Amino acid sequence: MEANRSLFIPVILGTVRIGRMSRHAARIVASELGKYAGVETELIDIAKLPLPTNDAGEAIKQPEFSAAMSRADALVVVSPEYNHGYPGLLKHVLDSCLKEYIHKAVGIVGVSAGPFGGARVIANLLPVMRELGLVTIFWDVNFCHVHKLFAADGKLLDEAYIPRIAKFLQELIWMAKTLRHGREQIALN
Amino acid sequence: MRNKNGKMICPRCAEEMNHHGDKLVYNDMAGAGPMDRTMSEHIEEFHTCPQCGAGASCAHLRSPSSI
Repeated sequence: MEANRSLFIPVILGTVRIGRMSRHAARIVASELGKYAGVETELIDIAKLPLPTNDAGEAIKQPEFSAAMSRADALVVVSPEYNHGYPGLLKHVLDSCLKEYIHKAVGIVGVSAGPFGGARVIANLLPVMRELGLVTIFWDVNFCHVHKLFAADGKLLDEAYIPRIAKFLQELIWMAKTLRHGREQIALN
Repeated sequence: MRNKNGKMICPRCAEEMNHHGDKLVYNDMAGAGPMDRTMSEHIEEFHTCPQCGAGASCAHLRSPSSI
């Protein structure tokens, strides 16, 4: 086994709305993730994926996104909460792959204008992740009152989030390593 | 591609792959191979290479109704 292979953990920014505050959350999580030795990351903005909306599922698989998901050992999904749910276009993008996700870890970052920090969108995403073959961790990040949490330039105004993000990422990296070992070394039968 | 032992061979480095997952898939997929046409479903196998980490999938050779 190539034990020295880095983990690849992309961060998916799951909204295309103009003025989306989730971009700041995604950037800070990607920045913190990039500080871990042996971990490579990149920010995938679903607004930049040229996916059609006149079809769905794997029929619209986009080669670059598919390749990133195949290479990934784990995912971070950053999702705002819109009317208690996830953005439709996030689901549209996630549904374009399947085999790429199997037995890989996923952590979910919720973002909301209110006090619950996307707790409801995280709960709604869990069964979707399971059906896609992803393995959820039990640590989340909840960005609450997001319009007050970041400066206009995207600077995080509450440093208390940094250790919370660290706990989330440590759990995700552990799960990514564990699942990589399982995918590569432990047979189903 | 499988070797004589029925193991998938890594398309990237030709190492024998590890079969770590199955999923019941309900729609026809191009190149899926044998499947239960009546139910329009098959089991997709997922394999990962222990050498380079590449993933691959293929249709299971048994019908889902045999499980």
